[in-house]
Amino acid sequence: MPLKEAFELAKKGHSYAKRTKYKEALAYYNKALSVDPNYAECLFLRATAYIETGKHKEALADCDRAIALNQNYSDAWSKKSLALYYLERIEEALAASTRAAALNANDVTAWYIKGVCLDELGRSDEAQEAYGRSLELEIILDMHADAKRIRQQR
Amino acid sequence: MKTEMPLSKPIRRILIHTEELLDTEVSLLRQPEAEPGGTLVDKYTYDIDSNVIIFPAQYVGLLKDFIIAKHCTHLLIKGAAAKKGEYKVCSYNADCVYAGMRQIYIDALKDEAKKENKLPVNKLIQMLFILFSHFNDDINEIPWNAIVNADVYYRMPKIRKTQLYHIMKESKNDMDEMMEQESIVPRRYFVLNKAMFYARDMYLAKTLPADELMPVLNIPQMKKFNHLEVKEMLTTRWTHTAWYQSKVFGDNMLSIIEKPLGPVNWKDEPTLDYYYDLYKVGKLLTDNLIGYMTMRDWFVWEPPKHLLDAHDHKVEYEKDALKRIFGDLITDTLEGV
Repeated sequence: MPLKEAFELAKKGHSYAKRTKYKEALAYYNKALSVDPNYAECLFLRATAYIETGKHKEALADCDRAIALNQNYSDAWSKKSLALYYLERIEEALAASTRAAALNANDVTAWYIKGVCLDELGRSDEAQEAYGRSLELEIILDMHADAKRIRQQR
Repeated sequence: MKTEMPLSKPIRRILIHTEELLDTEVSLLRQPEAEPGGTLVDKYTYDIDSNVIIFPAQYVGLLKDFIIAKHCTHLLIKGAAAKKGEYKVCSYNADCVYAGMRQIYIDALKDEAKKENKLPVNKLIQMLFILFSHFNDDINEIPWNAIVNADVYYRMPKIRKTQLYHIMKESKNDMDEMMEQESIVPRRYFVLNKAMFYARDMYLAKTLPADELMPVLNIPQMKKFNHLEVKEMLTTRWTHTAWYQSKVFGDNMLSIIEKPLGPVNWKDEPTLDYYYDLYKVGKLLTDNLIGYMTMRDWFVWEPPKHLLDAHDHKVEYEKDALKRIFGDLITDTLEGV
């Protein structure tokens, strides 16, 4: 459990991130982590903001710290695969996305990045399999979102 | 390419191909509120320096990839026509609006005469321009949608399953369009609107070979379509709509779409000339659809700027047309329009 103060600061940061105000979001995440340096979820949130602002090395470092705190943190593995992909470390990105998909079989991004990496490495058949899984999940999520939107309209 | 996001190989290839062929830049933009089918904001249509493909932020995988492929293809068609100095769209001017609204009014009066619950006059007047405008939007979209989908199908076999989902979804949305206004809209326009979408769907169903597009994905909601081919899937849906009894119009439009697209060799080298030829085919089939719907005096082929200006003047055009149709009778009613 994170310290209450750190939790509130991270929450504020996240509300900025949702509005794509990453500079403000990062400031709050930094404050939260100075209060509680072992707050894994906040490290993940900061990694996400770093990715959005093109700071991929920083994102990777935060993901690694979050994973060190919780080896089964699937979202952190997934974000790590994205950071590694951007850093063009394809083999490592593949390993991270595979781990993320194993921990959370419903992670669309992890399956998609796995497909992209396999494609890059010339493993086309395996890539199609990963893309297929990613597409299935994405369609299911899209159908749910549509159904929700229709319910709200009514 | 101004983008930083993972993309599958065929999509990266088509982005690079688009940029090289048109000597332009394409940016990708994720937006939470973007249209489900994405949006293309291009320099051939708008007064901007580069091109942007906007897609819903929640699409992170192949659904995003298909949107990019579709809009890149459309951009190639537009760009090729623009480079030949020929790029035009279906626009309108004051005379077009008058012709369209007058025709809709006459048809509406015929329908209203048979109705027990008459549409209030102010609602009927409001409907005239809305309907005219609706057909302008559709005629600028549907023919290109059919062409772009066919081209993507042949060029990018690896995203065919994604394409199938998009087509099914788009078809469903288009089928539902205007349904709530069915009792208000003059029958002729309801039938023609649906016929255009039906013809597009049937063209795609015939073009996209069924065996490769079987919905083999493990998606519960799509299970009911198992063992049905695309054509059956789309036909089955259309048979359940109120419009289906008038499908003869849709069948005629399908012939109109098929005729110019029949000779296209989708596997030709994707050069500037190839995309320019697609543009010419699209223009021809748009003309043929307009002719079939007897809307020749509703629209004019003009550069995109003309259409943007027309949108800016639409209130003026509408008021002018109403005055020409109703004379002094309309003066008081105009305040409410």
